[in-house]
Amino acid sequence: MKDFAHKIVQEGPGTQSMFEDETLETVWDFIELGHAPAVADVVARVGDEARVRAVSLAGFITIAGDRISLTPAGERRARDVVRRHRLAERLFADILDIKDYEADACHFEHVISASVEEAICTLLGHPPLCPHGKPIPKGACCELYTRKLAPLVRSLADAEVGAMLRVTFITSPGLQRLAGLGLVPGAALRLQQKLPAFVVAIGETTVAIDRDVASGIFVRSV
Amino acid sequence: MEMHAGAAAGKSPEERVALVGTPNVGKSVLFGLLTGTYATVSNYPGTTVEVTRGNAAVHGRRLVCIDTPGINSIVPMSEDEQVTRDILLAERPVTVVQVGDSKNLVRALLITLQLAEMELPLILDLNMEDEARDRGILIDTQALGRALGIEVISTVAPERKGLGELRRALASRAAAVPSAAVRYHKVIEDYAGRIAALLPPAAGPARALALMALSRDETLGPRLRCALDAAAVETIERLRGECERAFARPVGTAIHEARLRKARELAEAATTRVAASPYPIMRTLGAACMHPVWGACILAAVLLGLYGFVGVLGAGVLVDFAEDAVFNGYVNPFFTRAAELLVPTQFLRDMLVGPYGVITMALTYALAIILPITAAFFLAFGVLEDTGYLPRLAVMADRFFRLMGLSGKAVLPMVLGLGCGTMAVMTTRVLETRRDRLIATFLLALAVPCAAQLGVIMGMLGGLSLTAFAIWIGCLGAVLLLAGRLAALIVPGERTGFILEIPPFRLPSAGNVLLKTGHRVVWYLREAAPLFVYGTLALFLLDKAGLLDTLKEALAPVITDFLGLPREATAAFLVGFLRRDYGAAGLHALRDQGMLDPVQTMVSLLTLTLFVPCLAHFLMMIKERGLRPAVCMFVIIAVLAVAAGGALNWTLRALAIPLG
Ligand SMILES: Nc1nc2c(ncn2[C@@H]2O[C@H](COP(=O)(O)OP(=O)(O)OP(=O)(O)O)[C@@H](O)[C@H]2O)c(=O)[nH]1
Ligand SMILES: [Zn+2]
Ligand SMILES: [Zn+2]
Ligand SMILES: [Zn+2]
Repeated sequence: MKDFAHKIVQEGPGTQSMFEDETLETVWDFIELGHAPAVADVVARVGDEARVRAVSLAGFITIAGDRISLTPAGERRARDVVRRHRLAERLFADILDIKDYEADACHFEHVISASVEEAICTLLGHPPLCPHGKPIPKGACCELYTRKLAPLVRSLADAEVGAMLRVTFITSPGLQRLAGLGLVPGAALRLQQKLPAFVVAIGETTVAIDRDVASGIFVRSV
Repeated sequence: MEMHAGAAAGKSPEERVALVGTPNVGKSVLFGLLTGTYATVSNYPGTTVEVTRGNAAVHGRRLVCIDTPGINSIVPMSEDEQVTRDILLAERPVTVVQVGDSKNLVRALLITLQLAEMELPLILDLNMEDEARDRGILIDTQALGRALGIEVISTVAPERKGLGELRRALASRAAAVPSAAVRYHKVIEDYAGRIAALLPPAAGPARALALMALSRDETLGPRLRCALDAAAVETIERLRGECERAFARPVGTAIHEARLRKARELAEAATTRVAASPYPIMRTLGAACMHPVWGACILAAVLLGLYGFVGVLGAGVLVDFAEDAVFNGYVNPFFTRAAELLVPTQFLRDMLVGPYGVITMALTYALAIILPITAAFFLAFGVLEDTGYLPRLAVMADRFFRLMGLSGKAVLPMVLGLGCGTMAVMTTRVLETRRDRLIATFLLALAVPCAAQLGVIMGMLGGLSLTAFAIWIGCLGAVLLLAGRLAALIVPGERTGFILEIPPFRLPSAGNVLLKTGHRVVWYLREAAPLFVYGTLALFLLDKAGLLDTLKEALAPVITDFLGLPREATAAFLVGFLRRDYGAAGLHALRDQGMLDPVQTMVSLLTLTLFVPCLAHFLMMIKERGLRPAVCMFVIIAVLAVAAGGALNWTLRALAIPLG
């Protein structure tokens, strides 16, 4: 679980707001794994117990005994931070092709505005998972799913016939079966048809899949 | 599984050679050439679902050759793939011949690298060199061989090209274990090493097993449990969990990526690309078969062609000729005369040439009705199989099969069911989940008539009218859909996504089609003829003992009252238990004797189509799915068949639709 390289904390105290973001993100992370974290767990990651308690005074978390949980306001904010972090990861990993993106993602999550966040999400095709396979909380744009801005990364189900595409990531079940046929992130493919079923050519291999599987394969044009 | 590690290695001195590789690369063709035994060859993935063994002598060395089901990865995804992995782990062949597709070198090498991890002595045979050349792909086998540290050969199996080299490679020294290895991320290597250290040598290649465990191969569990104590299995589980957390990315994906990198590197170094030869006709045709509009037209043409060839030519012209001209004209009168002269007692005479005689009934049905129809069907079907049309049909039919909770992949077993339900039940192994296999088995038993039966049905309906044919198809489709929907609701589990590889469209070779048809017809007669004889004898004895009338009396409420059929039809349904095609032949004979009016023809045909699976089919269902599910299906089908027949009877009579 060294998911977040907490560079900001290492570099110095940063602003209180950044510290709150980090704390909330850490708590979210633990809750996602299934249990409310102990104060010590969170302090071990963000570094300063007094400041963690200050976050509680600001009304974002409650500390009951040893355990930390999120207040409704805290949960909303944690959600946004996590969403921005994971979107940033996707952006760096898929589009900018940066290998060591963790530290930058951590910077990024604090600075982007809501409209930038939405634009990135749309650009990436409203991705459901981060590169580590964790869910990206949905934003308003995902629910509306507007296609005004043609997204760079989109599901194969939305691609047009004849397009040359590159797979960025796959969320459909049957990942291993697809991998056996050469359908893996990074593979180049051509979409031959969408009806009555999807047919794609990957090199000299031709594979037929249904819409359900296709909508879990995310691609960008090449 | 009966294969425990090491068990097979000690007991037999024979030298085994296993043919493995991705589906549909030509393993079975090569197997046939090496052993001289016939293994079914068809142009769709999943032809071989069972292991076939045969003896091969190469330059004086005696080998046992094993043809295995195709695999896309060493980590199995379905029952047939697991068979292959288990053979590699348990039987430790002296040589593994990996058959790869030359035009898909990276995919072949992905498997090579996994076999290398299993420390198997390997020869890589890059088959389909002709298709690669057409696409402008040239492979330097020498260079690739040096890079891998094994012998690499290129072949074109159907043309026997390169076969000599393969035989020489098999005959000479022991094959080498590939020296090329994949280096994984250090975290993975570290954990793989720690898991490998826990495995006893008898369990097999430690590093490969450790990597399988790290890729979350669930099928490996039972194997490990029988080689290790519970504590060790738990430790492995724990290490795997730790590795996943430390790595923060799905470990299986990372392992696959590392292999892919290496495979691409190797392939790139050995491949030269030249201009592809312009030969797009087959490719265009192949694509047209899946096109929403052209595909539908082609499908209609194929069905019409099948109807013309099997229904009109086979079941009409050929059967009429064989039945009326040959059997009723010469064969039966001849044997009747001969029996009158030579056989002393009336009892024996009746047994041979009476109304339930072995010659006049069993042989006439088998040779005059069933043989011409099955031969015509298998011939047409063989052509379809070898072009690669069937996987394309799966694409066309995916949506229809979705309505029944299945995916297009289930088309393959269902269409094979037209040839023989028994074999088709085995082919359901290519489906990924138990749920899919259950539903497909049920629908196969319920609504897919075998070729002989279908031929008879086509012949009899052809004599009525197009309306009759449409009604029969409509009823069958409705029952199929309804039963499928219900089964999908009842059987627990999720529908699996449709993922199917589509092989290239090819011109079928007349040789393979004829050979395959011949094998199938002979096999069919061997299977069917004895049962026809037993069934006839049983009917004959029942008749002589006066029990047949009792049975007809007892079943009258169903047969005559509910279904509105003549009492004589009872015998057809009774033998239908033995073989459905025998029952169909019985109905055909009744119709010829003018005992079935159009409505009765329709009702009896629909009931018999839906009727319970025949004996061999039922036994196979028990073997593949288990006794309880099989018996449940049997009961449900019996009820459904009679109910549908009755409903049709009452509807047709109430509406008084003109049938012909
Ligand atoms: N053009 C060409 N076709 C080939 C070659 N080898 C095999 N085929 C064809 O490929 C198809 C598949 O051959 P099979 O031998 O059934 O393949 P398999 O590997 O046993 O397939 P599964 O049993 O399904 O795993 C058949 O239609 C063959 O005629 C080749 O070298 N060149
Ligand atoms: Zn992440
Ligand atoms: Zn969005
Ligand atoms: Zn085969």
